[in-house]
Amino acid sequence: MTGHDHQHDSSLSPTELRVKALESLLTEKGLVDPAALDILIETYENKVGPRNGARVVARAWTDPDYKKRLLEDGSSAIAELGYTGRQGEDMVVLENTPSVHNLVVCTLCSCYPWPVLGLPPVWYKAAPYRSRAVIDPRGVMAEFGLVLDDDVEVRVWDSTAELRYLVLPERPAGTDGMSEEALAELVTRDSMIGTGLALQPK
Amino acid sequence: MPVLQADKVTETLRRGGSARVDADVPARFAPGDRVVTRNINPLGHTRLPRYARGRQGVIDRDHGVFIFPDTHANTGDPKPQHCYSVLFTARELWGADASPRDKIYIDLWDDHLDPADG
Repeated sequence: MTGHDHQHDSSLSPTELRVKALESLLTEKGLVDPAALDILIETYENKVGPRNGARVVARAWTDPDYKKRLLEDGSSAIAELGYTGRQGEDMVVLENTPSVHNLVVCTLCSCYPWPVLGLPPVWYKAAPYRSRAVIDPRGVMAEFGLVLDDDVEVRVWDSTAELRYLVLPERPAGTDGMSEEALAELVTRDSMIGTGLALQPK
Repeated sequence: MPVLQADKVTETLRRGGSARVDADVPARFAPGDRVVTRNINPLGHTRLPRYARGRQGVIDRDHGVFIFPDTHANTGDPKPQHCYSVLFTARELWGADASPRDKIYIDLWDDHLDPADG
């Protein structure tokens, strides 16, 4: 790299600078309320995230009636635990079993079930995951450390519509008698996208 | 469009806004029906991914009636219609080298699909 010898007096990245410029413009034109923006950011940084989904999964592992409702009508069963709203209006829950493993992607953009998982990780929104999850799901999962037997059927769900998908991972062996709260600690974000499994108990 | 005010953020997020439409639109397909996706290549918005055009699949489940984004995004016409999960085998989409077991489920609308003959 040559020809870029002047000093910038800012440590912000080009993307951060662009976002700041857009925010200033939108605020000056009266199109966004900066206080509303702060609450939006605070909500998804600190209040809404994958611990919500983990509670849904742990409830399904411990309550067969709840699991039945969850698989039949994801939106209303998830709403029973108070998780509703934007990007979770129409939820579908996919059950992993010893013979079926589900993986969720949005090849067209970055659709993701916000009320149960929060905002998507960077890799979920990136072109490599989006393009490869549908053509080489086993290769993608292997890069996450998840290698499935050939006789397990992989089902990839491309979120091309307004349905939002949550994977119900298998309950790990050796967790009999664990409380719902302790079980929720085993449920990772990736296990609810399908790029991982629930953790083994320590 | 009104500007979202700070005191309305939490309620607005909690309420959300479904694209589901309470309209009595008949479904063209039922679970188990064999379908073929249209080979369309519009310049504007479409939810039919390029990798699944002109391919044979099976209706897995009917999600109900939703706004149709292909027209809604381009002209504002919501054109409500049924949206389905359509099952494609990995081999139908990717050829003989793909896993014989794996499946891809894509959410598609009536206007993306035709009955598959035979």
